[in-house]
Amino acid sequence: MIPLELALTLDAGTIVFVALAAVAVVSAILVVEHKSLVYSALFLGILGMANAALFTMLGFNFIALFFVSVYIGAAVTFIIFSVSMFEEAPAVERPVRIVTLVSVVVAGVVLAGVFALYFTGGIQPSYISYRDLASLLTEKYWFALLIAALTLVTTLIEAITIARTEEAK
Amino acid sequence: MDTIVLFLSLSIVLFAIGLYGLISKRTMLRMLLAAEINFNAAILALVAFASQSPSPATGEVVALLATGIAAADVGILVSIAILMYRLKKRSDVYELKESRG
Repeated sequence: MIPLELALTLDAGTIVFVALAAVAVVSAILVVEHKSLVYSALFLGILGMANAALFTMLGFNFIALFFVSVYIGAAVTFIIFSVSMFEEAPAVERPVRIVTLVSVVVAGVVLAGVFALYFTGGIQPSYISYRDLASLLTEKYWFALLIAALTLVTTLIEAITIARTEEAK
Repeated sequence: MDTIVLFLSLSIVLFAIGLYGLISKRTMLRMLLAAEINFNAAILALVAFASQSPSPATGEVVALLATGIAAADVGILVSIAILMYRLKKRSDVYELKESRG
C-alpha cells in the first residue's frame, strides 16, 4: 500500500508513467513467457502501444503516430497473421541456466552505467513542427532516407523470394 | 527523481527481459519477438535522449528511420522462419546448424 504522503506527492504525469511502464513490463514478460506464439505477438502489440504513449509523454507525437501505424500496424500485425498461419511445433525449452541470468544482470548494470553518465536535468516536452521535420528529412538527411527506402524495397523482394522458394521447387 | 531516469530505467528493464528471452528460448519466432522487445527498449532510450538533445528533430528522424528498418527486418525474419518450418517441419534454431553453407 502506498503511504499517504507519497501518494500526495505523485503528480498526474508520474502516475500515467507508472501505469504505462507496468503495462509495458507485464506485456514484455508475457511476450517471452506465454505458451502461445499468437498471444505473444499480441502482447508485443500492446507493448508497442505503451511505448507509443510514452513517446507522446516525451513530446514526440509524430514518432508515436508513426510507431503505431508502421510498427504495430504493419510489423506486429504481420507477425500475428504469420504466426496464426504457422502450425506451431512444440519445442522443448531448456531450463534457465545461471549464465542466462548473469548475462541479463551484467547487461542491466552496463546499461545503467552508460545512462548514469548521461544524467542531466528533467525532460522538457519538445514540440517539433512537421514542416521542419519534413525539410530535415528531405534536405539534410536525404541520403539516409534514400538508403532506408532502398532497404525496405530490397527486404520486401527478399522476403517474397524466400517465401516462394518452396513453391518454385 | 529526474524524469529521464524513469524512462531509461524502464528501457533497461525491457532490454533485460528481451535479452533473457533471446538467450533462453530456442524457438525461432519466440527469439524474434524477444529481439523486438530489445528494439522497443532501444528506441525508448533513443527518444528519451533525443528529448534532452538541443536539436530533438535529429533524434526524431533517426527514430523514424529505425522504425522503418525494424519493420523491414521483421518481414525478412518471419519469411525465413516460415521457410525453415516448411523445409524442416520444426522451428527450433538448433536445427539451423545443419543448414550451414
